[in-house]
Formats: sequence, C-alpha cells, structure tokens
Amino acid sequence: MTIATTPIEWAILAVSAASTAVGLYVAYQAYRGYRRHRSRPMQYLSLGLIILLGVTFVSAFVGSLLLRGGVVPGDYRPGFTLLVRLLQLLGVAFIAYSLSLRG
Amino acid sequence: MSEDRELDGVLDVLSDEYARSILAEASTEPMSAKTLSDRCDASLPTVYRRIERLKEHDLVEERTRVKPDGGHHKVYTATLASVSIELDDGEYETSVERTDRTASLDADDAADRLTYMWENL
Repeated sequence: MTIATTPIEWAILAVSAASTAVGLYVAYQAYRGYRRHRSRPMQYLSLGLIILLGVTFVSAFVGSLLLRGGVVPGDYRPGFTLLVRLLQLLGVAFIAYSLSLRG
Repeated sequence: MSEDRELDGVLDVLSDEYARSILAEASTEPMSAKTLSDRCDASLPTVYRRIERLKEHDLVEERTRVKPDGGHHKVYTATLASVSIELDDGEYETSVERTDRTASLDADDAADRLTYMWENL
C-alpha cells in the first residue's frame, strides 16, 4: 500500500501536512492563551483550529489510506468525504462561537 | 496591620452571594453590567452596587468598550486570583492575589498577542 506515487501526489501530501503543522501551531498558541488567561474565546478558538486542521487532516489521511489499500470499499468514498466536510463545519462553528463569546 | 484590613474588606465583599457570582461570571471574560445582571439573576442596581464594592477592593477592573455603532459601554473583568488564609503557630498568614490581565499580556509572546487580538476582534 503506497501513500503517494506520482510527484504531484507527494506534493499534495507535503502541502497538506505543512498547512496542518502551521495551523496546529496557531491552535497551540490559542491554547496557551486560554490556559494563561482562562479565556473562553481562546479555548473555543484552539478547539476549532484543532478540529478544522488536525482532526480533518488525520481522518482524511487515514481514510485515503484505507480506501487506497482496499481495506474499505470504494463505495464509502462519498460518505467519507461528507464526514471530513462535517468535521470542517464543526471546526469553523467552534471558531464562530468563540467570536460570539462577548460580554 | 494594613494587610489584615485589606483582607477584612475582601472577605466582607466575598461574603455576599451576588458579589461572588458577579466575580465568577466576570472571571471568564469581560462583561457588561447588563449581562452580569442576566447571568447572576440580579437587578441592575444590585449589580452596580456590588461592582462598586468590588472595585473599591480592586477585585474587578472596569474598561470601556466601543460598540460597532459608535456608542460605548463599560465592561468588567474579575482580577481576583486567590485569597488564602493560613493559621500556623498562633499566627495568620494571609494573602490576596490578583491577576492583571492587561499587564500580564506580553507583547513579545505569540499566545498573549493572539489572545489580545482575538478577544478584541
């Protein structure tokens, strides 16, 4: 089972991994802000970023491995894509909620 | 003795249920008196009276927030971190610790800058 074969597939993987790493760095700073200032907006911002970038990347990655490897039948692909999109929605919903946490 | 008197005042304010609940709500994020009145189930005059007392003892910090329509209102943040009383060998060791949010935001730290930026968005 191969993760990527063509150069373009490797490039896609590398770029996704890089954006996840940078996103999780921002999430980490938000988490530190939450811990240090007991700030609820920062708590939801960091949670949102972690779901939006970290959780979706990991599930997309693991999912495509399973689909490519034939562990999971290809019929599941649309349902799986929907799951990843729902996670993204959840992530941005957390961030939006964080913005609404005003006095 | 001045520290003892300070503690007397702080304990006196904290003995009030409304003052405690205002402080608890205002410790999560800056809040207007109206919001505090809703969350603490207290009338607006009650909230203002408690806020005055809390301010006298530096337990809350008042700031003016500008609204998008150009108006402004005051918001309050709890600055109390801890009150401790220890009795040891016939003597009381007391301390009141406060958090100073703005002073504790470090301009050289990414987490602090992000917190400031995001909360003021």
